[in-house]
Amino acid sequence: MKYSCAWLSDYVDLPPTANELAARLTAAGFSVEHQETVGTDTVLDIEVTTNRVDAMCHFGLAREVATLYDRPLRSPAASLTEDPEPTAGAITLHLDHPDGARYAARIIRGVTVAPSPAWLVERLAALGLRSINNVVDVTNYVLWELGQPLHAFDLATLGGATIRVRRARAGEELVTLDGQKRALDPDVLVIADAERPIGLAGVMGGLETEVTATTRDVLLESAHFNPKAVRRGARKLGMHTDASHRFERGADPGACAAALDRAAHLLQELAGGRVLAGVADARFVPEQSWLLHGTLDLARLVRFLGVDVAAQQVECWLAGLGFELTPAGEGRYTVTVPTWRYYDCHPLRPSGEVWEADLFEEVARLHGLDAIPSTLPRLVGAEPPASVAVRRRRVVKSYLAASGFAEAINFAFHDPESAQALPCLRPGSPPLALANPVSDRYSVMRRSLSVGLVENGRFNQRRGAGSVRLFEVGAVFVERPGERFPQEIETVGLIAGGVVGSPWQGGRSLDFHDVKGVLETLAERFGRRLEARPAVLPGLLEGATAELSLDGRSAGYLGRLAEEGSFALFLAELELEALGEPPAAQRVTTPSRYPAIEADLTLNHPLEVSWAQLEVAIREGASPLLVAFELKDRYQGPGLRPGTVNSTLSFRYVAEDRSLTQEEVNHNQEALAARLAETLGATRS
Amino acid sequence: MSDVQHLTERFEREAAAVTDRAGWEALRVTWAGRKQGLVRDLEAGIKNVAPEGRRAFGQAVNELKNLVEARLAALDEELSQLEREATARRARIDVTLPGRRPQLGALHPITVVSQEIEAIFAELGFSVAEGPEIEDDAYNFAALNFPDEHPARDTQDTLFLTNGLLLRTHTSPVQIRTMLARQTPPIRVICPGRVYRNDNDLRHSPMFHQIEGLVVGEGVTVGDLKGTLEAFIERLFSPETKVRLRPSFFPFTEPSAEVDLTCSTCRGAGCAVCSGTGWMEILGSGMVDPRVLAGCGIDPDRYTGFAFGLGLDRVAMIRYGIGNIRTLFENDERLLRQVDLP
Repeated sequence: MKYSCAWLSDYVDLPPTANELAARLTAAGFSVEHQETVGTDTVLDIEVTTNRVDAMCHFGLAREVATLYDRPLRSPAASLTEDPEPTAGAITLHLDHPDGARYAARIIRGVTVAPSPAWLVERLAALGLRSINNVVDVTNYVLWELGQPLHAFDLATLGGATIRVRRARAGEELVTLDGQKRALDPDVLVIADAERPIGLAGVMGGLETEVTATTRDVLLESAHFNPKAVRRGARKLGMHTDASHRFERGADPGACAAALDRAAHLLQELAGGRVLAGVADARFVPEQSWLLHGTLDLARLVRFLGVDVAAQQVECWLAGLGFELTPAGEGRYTVTVPTWRYYDCHPLRPSGEVWEADLFEEVARLHGLDAIPSTLPRLVGAEPPASVAVRRRRVVKSYLAASGFAEAINFAFHDPESAQALPCLRPGSPPLALANPVSDRYSVMRRSLSVGLVENGRFNQRRGAGSVRLFEVGAVFVERPGERFPQEIETVGLIAGGVVGSPWQGGRSLDFHDVKGVLETLAERFGRRLEARPAVLPGLLEGATAELSLDGRSAGYLGRLAEEGSFALFLAELELEALGEPPAAQRVTTPSRYPAIEADLTLNHPLEVSWAQLEVAIREGASPLLVAFELKDRYQGPGLRPGTVNSTLSFRYVAEDRSLTQEEVNHNQEALAARLAETLGATRS
Repeated sequence: MSDVQHLTERFEREAAAVTDRAGWEALRVTWAGRKQGLVRDLEAGIKNVAPEGRRAFGQAVNELKNLVEARLAALDEELSQLEREATARRARIDVTLPGRRPQLGALHPITVVSQEIEAIFAELGFSVAEGPEIEDDAYNFAALNFPDEHPARDTQDTLFLTNGLLLRTHTSPVQIRTMLARQTPPIRVICPGRVYRNDNDLRHSPMFHQIEGLVVGEGVTVGDLKGTLEAFIERLFSPETKVRLRPSFFPFTEPSAEVDLTCSTCRGAGCAVCSGTGWMEILGSGMVDPRVLAGCGIDPDRYTGFAFGLGLDRVAMIRYGIGNIRTLFENDERLLRQVDLP
């Protein structure tokens, strides 16, 4: 919001330089974003927070300056010479709805509509406003001076010498000052004459009743509306004006009459005419109800700030801002809040009083937060330990990063189609849809990390990557029947493929079992056993796809993408919860002091005999001396019966209490070979 | 005499012909062998020489013996040198060839920054709290003192679901959930997470990340807020980083403050990154509004507290020199893999 320093200095003496003023205002919560020299004037562009409508005008900001520098504040002149004719006789006011809380009007007869004098044109121009004529300019001037939006009607155009504040009726229309025809409905609060709407309450006046060059008699409106009602109407019509900006945030409900007097004073000076006697003023509630009260306890204030502030200083600051303080003994005051801070102090305490924090805030702000000494909270007791989810996620992420995967972060929404062509952990329910997505590309919540990761894989391929190894940890969203909130399932996804490293670096093409190995080790870290079973899933190549389970509980999938890019990509996803808790304390076993004996065994068996079956068969009835076995190699090809494969396994035997003999090991191997031949038809080759 | 002379000449011939370890070994056995070495035979023969010639003979034998020993030692050294050279030749590699590197991965810049901040606050006695990303109006707005139909809501362009729920626009609902669940202060939590806003242009991403902190207890002051933020910022950036608090407005804190840091690029001198101001706006903070405490069932006359929040994406961008927020979510491995593992 723009402020002219020349204009401000009508009400308060400013410090010598604009820079000094800017720094002081910024430190008190009025951030000066920009300064501009306009002729001999300096214009400040200030970010005024939404709670400070009272300072969205020159007099309001001058009040801040006067308080900060402890200087006198000069009110603008509002003296009038009134005509004997009473305003009340010339206009009848009706408030039909509580949202039209107050409507005040003055009438000036016999004005001369003319161009504004240079000083007025310049003041408006400094703020980037265009001069229209003396009458309209005065209403704008008072808005930027006192913050109260005003409107001038051509009295002759009003039907029935009546103003009525009411809800619009369905089907009513109004052409507003900007020439737009607006279709109205009961959500919109309007100003009407006896017959029709003539203005949108708190937003904009109507074209038919505007002041023109031929206007003689002017009705000045100075009203107060419920902020929510103005906002609802403005939003419905897609409008935002200087008036609505203030009313929506809460204008000063006590300013109506004073603003009228100031405007009438200026009009009389600039446009002549007779100001009728008195203000026509209709109210839904008595003026008293705009005055809020509370209590200020200096000891509590000091305890809140963490710094000593003198009582006299506090009194001086708050009085400067318009708060009335009455000492109540023992460092306490009863406080009355000025009407221009009415909305800023809402909502109130259940007792109907103002919260003390609203008053503390003013003192903190004027004292300057930078001037408060820094301390650390003196709180006793420890916080609870991190949750399982937090600890688990840390383990998963650091393990995957250490295993060569780079972490990706994708948006949690995507287009509705992509998801259907890819696997999903909970395929049953439809995805949650966004009501107002940023674009169709981001219109449903993800039920799987697959969409983002596959896109990342393709993206890296297109950019010429020789390999891809990415993981992501994040929530997927699934509707829960009968529950208000959906389930957010934390999941880890992996995508990998291509040749990692050059031949010199020992590069090798990543495949299904590389990804599987990473997940197996991850599962092991949580004390779980990962198992894979062949599965058929959308988007993955049949035959190279598996459903994954952890200790028998279905937890995810792994497979090769059916659609080939520049190299094959393998996609996996696993629900983190299935991993369980990260092991609290890990135990190790001391290796035997006696040497181990290793023995290989090459088995020829049908392709249908899976490694999983071999594993089970070996474990069943294995000698306690067999401490480990692993797959050493697989061979399939010339020299073997078609449909069979050679699996070479290596076995490791060790005893805790003695050195094993080769005979013992041979004996065990013989027995094992015989058992495998019998149970699986796997013969020694 | 001539016998020894001949032998000496023969030794010279044979020694000159030695080219390898086997030849040397044969030479040694022939001449210096303990059992049948020629030198030893000569020495044994000294006593048989007539007394008048014995002394001279003995001298000649001794000279030969010294010669043999010296030559054998010299040859041994020569051969050893050759052998060492041969071994080195066989073992020779180009030590300047590139090493084979372990294939490490990387954490996302946002994760690195978040974990770092979590660790800093762990030192200051905070725990981590989390909450859902899909929220309702009550947790995301109403409980945080955003009135219905209030323009303060406009500052947070909200993404709604068709079922009436919304994607949280900040991590503040986690503070509400924490207070509702814990009830009894003191509370010191840090809440990292993803947040969403209906904003999609060069400078904004519809999904981004925040980390918020909340402290509630008896006697918590504005000075405590300042001290905590300074302790945090000093650890996250550098002890030279200056902090400035500008009073501001947020519905859920009172008083509220924007926190500016000296620009990390120009160190306060003013540059393009900080629009010439020397300051970077990085954090929002304030004393928890008593209306928020009361709404969570915490007695605002007894307890006070403070809260603060900052954008993790922005910190990551500053930390790694990333100019565009969208780069963070492109997931180009060439960028991601530059980030060192903590």
